[in-house]
Amino acid sequence: MKKILFIAYTFFLVILTLFSYAFVDPNLSYLEGLYSEFAFKYRQQTTFLYVLIIFLFFIFYFLFLWLLKKRHLNSKDVIWLICVTVILLLFSYPAMLSYDIFNYIATAKVLFFYHENPYIIMPIEFTKDLLLSFTHAANKIALYGPVWIILSVVPYCMGFGQFLLILLNLKLFTVLFYVGTTYLVWKISKNIFSVVLFSLNPLIIIEILVSGHNDIVMIFFALLSFFLLMKKRIIVAFFFLFLAILIKYATLFLIPVFFYTVWKLFKKQKVDWEKIYIASSLSMFVIFLLSPLREEIYPWYAIWFLPFVSLVHKSKMLLYIALAFSFGLLLRYVPFMLFGTHFGLTPFLKTAVTFIPVFFVLIYIFFKDKLWLKIFSR
Amino acid sequence: MKHYLWLFFLIIILFFKTTPSFAESSYVLPYPPPLPGSFFYKIRLVSEQIQKYWYFGSLGQFAYNLKQSDKYLVQAKTLFEYKQYLLGLQALKKSDIYFTNILPYLIKAKKEGKDIIQKQKILKEGALKHIEVLRKTKQYVPETFVWQPERLSPTILNLWKSIEESIAIRNKYL
Repeated sequence: MKKILFIAYTFFLVILTLFSYAFVDPNLSYLEGLYSEFAFKYRQQTTFLYVLIIFLFFIFYFLFLWLLKKRHLNSKDVIWLICVTVILLLFSYPAMLSYDIFNYIATAKVLFFYHENPYIIMPIEFTKDLLLSFTHAANKIALYGPVWIILSVVPYCMGFGQFLLILLNLKLFTVLFYVGTTYLVWKISKNIFSVVLFSLNPLIIIEILVSGHNDIVMIFFALLSFFLLMKKRIIVAFFFLFLAILIKYATLFLIPVFFYTVWKLFKKQKVDWEKIYIASSLSMFVIFLLSPLREEIYPWYAIWFLPFVSLVHKSKMLLYIALAFSFGLLLRYVPFMLFGTHFGLTPFLKTAVTFIPVFFVLIYIFFKDKLWLKIFSR
Repeated sequence: MKHYLWLFFLIIILFFKTTPSFAESSYVLPYPPPLPGSFFYKIRLVSEQIQKYWYFGSLGQFAYNLKQSDKYLVQAKTLFEYKQYLLGLQALKKSDIYFTNILPYLIKAKKEGKDIIQKQKILKEGALKHIEVLRKTKQYVPETFVWQPERLSPTILNLWKSIEESIAIRNKYL
C-alpha cells in the first residue's frame, strides 16, 4: 500500500513538473522550444488541471500525515519523500505562478553585470537586455533587502552569464535553504510530524521548490536565530535574525519575541519554547495579514508563519488555520488563471478563495470545541 | 466702426502686455534643500558625500550629479531671492561643477554598452529647465554686487556674468 502511494506521489510530481511547462512565457526566448501557449489559450482546461493538482497535492499531504500518525511511515520514508520532491521539482518551470525568480536575476544582473546600484537603477534602464521581455517588475528598483542581493551573487556568478544555468542555480539555492529549514525544524522540534507538516505542505513545495521564492532564505535565518537562542548563543542568534531582516523586512515582527526571550534568558528564567513559537507564529501571521497595506497577500507570504506553526502543531486552532490558508492561498492563482486579467471579478474572487477555507475551519473549530457553549454560558 | 477700433487697440495692448516666456521644459526641479546656516545643511553635506558612493556605477553617477546639480541650482535661486548673493553664487558654482560632471559618466556608460538615449533626453530637458530658471533669476539680481566682509577688502560679485557662464555650460547640452 505504502509502495503504491509512493509511486503515485512520484508520478504526480512528474505530472506537476510537466504541467509547469504549460506556463512558459511566450517572450522567454531561452525556452522557445518548450512554449506551447497551452496555459494562455486553454484557460479553462489549465485551471481545471491546476485545481485538480492542488486537491491531489493536499490529499497526498493529509495521507502522509495520517500514515505518520498511525506509525506507518518512518523517518527514512520521510527523507525519501523529501528527496524525491526536491529532485523532481528542481526541474520544474519556476515562473508557473509567479515571475519573482526573474526579478531576482534582473536585480542581481544590475549589480553584478552592469555594476550599478539596484536600489537606484531599475532593470528597465538597460533597454537592450533580453531579460526585459519577460521580467514583470523591471520598472522597479530592488524590492529585497541587501543581504538577499549579496547572497544572489552565488547563483548568479555560478551561472557564468548563461540564463538557464542561473535559473537552475537560483532554484538549487532555494532548495538548499528549504533542506536547511527542514533540518532546523527537525533539530528544534525533534518531531518527525513537524517536519512533514512543514516540508511536505503543498504551499511550501510549490512556492519554494517550483517558484523558488527567497522567503525561505529569510525564514531559514530567522529559524536559525531561534535555534541558536535555544542554545543560549544570543549574539550569534541576533546576528542571524539581523540577516533575516535584511533579506525581507517581514521578520522585523519577530524582534519583540526575540527580545522577550533574551530578557527571559538574562533573568535566568525558564523559557517556555512552545509559547515562544506560538508568539512567533502569531507575529508572522500579523505581518502576513497586514501585507495588503503594502500590496496584497501573496501566496508565498505563508512561508513566513508555516515553519513556526509546524513547531507548535499541538495548538490545533493555529494549525488548522495555517493549513486552511495554505489551501486557500494556492487557490488564489485560480481567478487570474481562468480569466487572464487582474481586473473585474478577479480581485474579489482572489480574496474569497483565500478566506473561505479559513472561514470554514473557524466554523468547524467553533462547533467542534463547543466554543459556542463556552461563549454563551458566560 | 469707432467701437471696433477701440477693440483693436485693446487687443494690441493685451498682446504687448503679455510677458515674454522662455522655452519651458517639463523637467521637474526638487524643492529647495536645507540652506547654509541651518543644522540640516550640515547633515545634507554629509549625506551628499555618502550618496557619492551609494550612487556607484556610471548611470548611478549620472543620476547623482544631475540630482546634486538640480539641488544646488534651486539653492542658488532661493538664496538670490533672499539677496544672499555670495552664498547664492557659491551654490551656483557647485551646481555648475556637478553639471559638468554628468557628461563624462554618460560617455562611460555608452562605452560600457549601456543604452543612454533616455539619459541624453533627461540631460537635455534638465539643461533646458536650468537655463529657464537661470534666465528668470537674472531678471531680479543686480548685474554686480559689492560684497563687504568684516575687516576685509570688498569683493565685486559679477552676478550676471556668472549666470551667463552657467547658462553657457548648460547650452552645450542642448
